[in-house]
Amino acid sequence: MINHIIRNTIYFIVLVLIQVLVLNNIHFLRIATPFLYLYFILKLPIGTSKSMVIFLSFIMGLVIDTFTNTPGMHAAACTFAGFFRQPLINLLIGKELPVDLSPSYRTFGVSGFFRYTLIFVLIHHLFLFLIESFTLFDPLFLALRIGASVITTTILICTVEAFNIETQKSAE
Amino acid sequence: MRKLLDFIVRKRHWFLFLLLEIVSLALVYRNHAYQRTIMLSSANVISGHVSSASGYVNSYLNLRDINRDLLERNGHLEMELLELQDQLEMLQADHLPFEGFTSPDSLAVFPYDFISAGVVNNSVTHLSNYITINKGANDGIAPDMGVVSEKGVVGIVSAVSDNFAVIIPLLNPKLKLSGKVSGSSYFGSVTWNGRNARIVNLEELPRHVEFDKGDMVVTSGYSAVFPAGIIVGKVVDYSKQHDDNFYSLEVELATDFQSLNNVRVIKNYHQQEQLNLEKEAKRND
Repeated sequence: MINHIIRNTIYFIVLVLIQVLVLNNIHFLRIATPFLYLYFILKLPIGTSKSMVIFLSFIMGLVIDTFTNTPGMHAAACTFAGFFRQPLINLLIGKELPVDLSPSYRTFGVSGFFRYTLIFVLIHHLFLFLIESFTLFDPLFLALRIGASVITTTILICTVEAFNIETQKSAE
Repeated sequence: MRKLLDFIVRKRHWFLFLLLEIVSLALVYRNHAYQRTIMLSSANVISGHVSSASGYVNSYLNLRDINRDLLERNGHLEMELLELQDQLEMLQADHLPFEGFTSPDSLAVFPYDFISAGVVNNSVTHLSNYITINKGANDGIAPDMGVVSEKGVVGIVSAVSDNFAVIIPLLNPKLKLSGKVSGSSYFGSVTWNGRNARIVNLEELPRHVEFDKGDMVVTSGYSAVFPAGIIVGKVVDYSKQHDDNFYSLEVELATDFQSLNNVRVIKNYHQQEQLNLEKEAKRND
């Protein structure tokens, strides 16, 4: 249990720093920005209570917001996506998984983890970009931005997961 | 009653979810550009210092370009100085000194001054972009001051903490700036359409104003924020607006927001006086 807390705290800090210092400056073709910090929410242990997932998602979003000057935007999107995490796992994988494992290629299977990531990221990005563009509506450009960001975020998360030493160690 | 309590406990994540969503959305909507919460923006102490550490590292990466720009600017200023000296000498040569003439009143000095500051946080891809700088109320910065770079207009200060300030740049639809084509005196408003970080639009310019592609667009001086004649950018294209009486001009920005490092905050000693007067005039109306 203590292990989980320490591990997730480190995840949290490292992912926030990477997101704020590096990834927020990436604007591929001026339309796509990867949001790697979602990896934190994706990787919470399967048995984490629904309220805890929602709360941690909210905190994560709020911290990102303070750095990007967008109070509430990421927090709202993360809370929304966090709410759908458990139903998504139940829907894609079923309920027979041990509760203290984290989602990974090994526990979900490669295609299972990919689908899990893709749908989660899609929910988050749809919500985020819709809130952001309330002031300025331009549907085609908006769809393009959402699509491009979903693709880059998903690819990045799947790559990071493939090279995550901790996941490989627990597989041995 | 028992069942109700059971229901609430079982579905507590629903309530938490709704509560947190309401909090977040309240933050989004309350967050109007001019009364932003300092606590949750990058002007706060923790995120301000992380950003300023990364800004410190980033500032080394562009030193070559900055140096080139400064040298160029220096050259321009030197030429201007020589030209003015030349004019002064010519005027002095053919003017008769008159001892009774006193020098101009010291109250009539140029009412603008500037404070230079470093950029610690910057964005160009969102719909509403913001810039954080490393000077704040302690250095004499206050909301509604204009901000320029060595090349042209940047934006307007919106929120200030002790050591940091947040600027609303031209790349934010919330900012409207009064601008004109250099050489004419008809003004329009400069806005951003949210797409391209190099282009802004000069809207509502009357049809009869004459201009060419490549002309400079400058600030009009019709607000208390910027002095007249600060460069905004260059006209690259134009089109008629929907009602045919106005032009909409595409303006290529002079300031490169993607590599912004140093800015100057313009202080107008007469700003408060002008605003008060304008407010009073409106009230008497």
